[in-house]
Amino acid sequence: MFGFIISRLLQAIVVVFAMSIIVFVGVYAIGNPIDVMIDPAATAEMRERLIAQYGLDQPLWRQYLSFLANVAQGDLGRSMVYNTSVTGLVFSRLPATLELVLVAIAIATVIGIPAGLYAGYRPKSLGAKAIMALSILGFSVPTFWIGMLLIMAFAVELGWLPSGGRGDLGTFLGMPTSLATANGWSHVIMPALNLSLFKMGLLIRLTRAGMVEAMQTDYVKFARAQGLPDRQIVFRHVLRNISIPVVTVFGLELGSTLAFAVVTESVFNWPGVGKLIIDSILTLDRPVMVTYLILVVILFVIINFTVDIVYARLDPRVRLGGTK
Amino acid sequence: MLRNTLKTGIAVAALLAAAPAAFSQELTIGLRAGPDSIDPHWSTLGSQAEALRHIYDTLVDADDTLQLEPGLAVSWEPIDDTTWEFKLREGVPFHDGTPFTAEDVKYSIDRIPDVTGPMSMTLYTKYVESVEVIDDYTVHVHTKGIAPALPNDFTRMFIVPSETGEGTGNEEFNSGDAAIGTGPYKFVSWQPKGDLVLERYEDHWRGESPWERVVRKEIPDDAARVAALRSGQVDLINYVPATDYLSMKNDPEIETFTSDSVYILNVQPSVKDEEPQPIRVNGEEVDGNPLQDLRVRTALDLAINREVLVDVVLEGLGTPANQLMPEGFFGYSDELGAKEYDIERARELLAEAGYPDGFEIDFTCTNNRVPGDAVVCEALAQMWSRLGLTVNAQALNGTVFFPAAANEEYTMAMSAWGTLTGEAAYTYGAMVHSKDPEKGFGNFNRTGYSNPEFDEVFVEGTQTLDAEERRALYEEASVIAMEDRALIPTVILQTVWAAEAETLTFTPRVDQETRAWVIEPTAE
Repeated sequence: MFGFIISRLLQAIVVVFAMSIIVFVGVYAIGNPIDVMIDPAATAEMRERLIAQYGLDQPLWRQYLSFLANVAQGDLGRSMVYNTSVTGLVFSRLPATLELVLVAIAIATVIGIPAGLYAGYRPKSLGAKAIMALSILGFSVPTFWIGMLLIMAFAVELGWLPSGGRGDLGTFLGMPTSLATANGWSHVIMPALNLSLFKMGLLIRLTRAGMVEAMQTDYVKFARAQGLPDRQIVFRHVLRNISIPVVTVFGLELGSTLAFAVVTESVFNWPGVGKLIIDSILTLDRPVMVTYLILVVILFVIINFTVDIVYARLDPRVRLGGTK
Repeated sequence: MLRNTLKTGIAVAALLAAAPAAFSQELTIGLRAGPDSIDPHWSTLGSQAEALRHIYDTLVDADDTLQLEPGLAVSWEPIDDTTWEFKLREGVPFHDGTPFTAEDVKYSIDRIPDVTGPMSMTLYTKYVESVEVIDDYTVHVHTKGIAPALPNDFTRMFIVPSETGEGTGNEEFNSGDAAIGTGPYKFVSWQPKGDLVLERYEDHWRGESPWERVVRKEIPDDAARVAALRSGQVDLINYVPATDYLSMKNDPEIETFTSDSVYILNVQPSVKDEEPQPIRVNGEEVDGNPLQDLRVRTALDLAINREVLVDVVLEGLGTPANQLMPEGFFGYSDELGAKEYDIERARELLAEAGYPDGFEIDFTCTNNRVPGDAVVCEALAQMWSRLGLTVNAQALNGTVFFPAAANEEYTMAMSAWGTLTGEAAYTYGAMVHSKDPEKGFGNFNRTGYSNPEFDEVFVEGTQTLDAEERRALYEEASVIAMEDRALIPTVILQTVWAAEAETLTFTPRVDQETRAWVIEPTAE
């Protein structure tokens, strides 16, 4: 176990390094941020001075090295647009995205897994067919379009829910979160539902596929022959056996949702990190782009690591480290 | 009976509950873009100036059509070739009670080089040599050379108290500690990309604003902004997308406000000896650059049907442009008539120039900078194909377009340009004058256009302090540039605001600023 953690940690460092180079080169290739930001009436002399001030006249390798040197001192840089520290900027917006994603994942799991189990348990029933049809809608219809439909229906026509933005903040366990107030929930529920649909569809289909397969295996037949009630078979034995693919997909989806909830955040004007990164790309705010993408890599590394540990807990046949 | 009483009771209660709301005088605005910082000397960004104008005042203000009017300075005049005298408004207190004086002006101008960012405010102080305090309410600004446009530069020169202190940066301003101005509103709170909350400043010199509290919500997504208005979350939105404009105009519950903007979509034909992207006839690269021939440029101009661009392509949200500025701007020439559309004449000119069968050319535009840039781009390509050209039109994200345009990689490009200061020097100095880093002209001249006659007239204008003489020179420069087709203006874009019907009214500004204090609530 300990060896596994060490090797994973080393892998992670290599991945983060490689990623930082790819990001740096990619961002460098797009062009000079000064040309995007500078005021049209600025003189050529002002432009030269700014380029020198931000070190953009240096060769790429030198810019990269000075970036690394700053990171080593714990300084990820300052945003060129906001002139505040990048870490402060990202972390001031991370809670909003976190709460949105947590609610979305919760909705997807609470509805998706039971629906998938049912659809796999009685695959020929009308209910199962309805669930499968809806799940196709869930991941084939574009998120922004469903989001706009939701807004039209619940905010504009019915007026039940606000059309966007984050609601009043309350404090929960010392953290400011909109999940602590009723007004906050009224703001979060619609974007979270919108964000959860794709994941819900995915979970339904995965669970169903696993369920259908598992119900025909010998251990289920034996369990039935033993006279175990179906409820016990499904929840104690089958669910555990089909959970490996579900957990894998769940982990990956959690990561990508956290990192790229940008469509939903834009449509619902949710002040999360997704919007921050898109704006940074549009203005070529290099420090924010680089830092954010590296944070995303770290996030994925952590999630994958957690997923591997969960595998081992779920299925004793999985051995961490792959030594045997 | 009982039921009716109940109903009445509920209605009365509802009215009582609603009454304070109606008189709470809170205005919530949904805006496409907000500030980047609360430090007024950080950036020249338009949305930044627009937001901070609520908290800080400028020496010189600009009216709805960008002509100058007094701000914190009540008058200004040149007292010799290199000195401007500004007389300041007396009895103006900052939000913290300290009186506004000449020291604050000097401090604010001197502070800029130390605190400004990549969108550098030194743009507005490039002519300033030094600032001299004569007495509490008189300031002399000494300039580097003759600087007739200095008052225009000062329309975004915000004044902060001289007590602000060195090392006060964005963090202190954003938290509100240093956000002290003389403007019509006091700062309450702000977060990057979040809401800017403001509270009325009772002692403002223009008199009290009608709104006690103003919330400026940043909602960059067009659909989300429209939804916020339709669901009643905001009272007013700016930049209504063209796709929603018609339905909103016809909706009795919504009122729209339309205005010409300062932005004009200009075609920029490269007239260098060798065009950056090859122009071809029958697949063969042509010798020399056809665009150097005035007849070819004129043909391109004549083939543009501006009526169609406005009425069909932009759904009415535009005005045909005949020069690089909208009417009424300082330097706009009345001599130039409306641009005509004459495809026959255009074909003749093209044949005369030696291209009876046209040629193949690349045409590159932005697709996300201003409403309509991509659709106008496609429409132009079609119009030119009627002329017999093969046009490879490509609309790119500004992030990709601008760096490449700066490297002069395009043979023919189109992007929007706004004469933000309301006078010609801003536009001509940057885009039409020959490229001359020494003099600081032509930084945005990406076409290689260089006409000594134009340069002479224009430069003479920039050296003329008398306003009327200067105006005449700029008007002459306008005529030269347009007859030369140095750039080909197509349409002036319009912008649209929308509000719930019968709640508020205001006169839209040509620079598209949404100023809360000029918005009047409609009496019930």
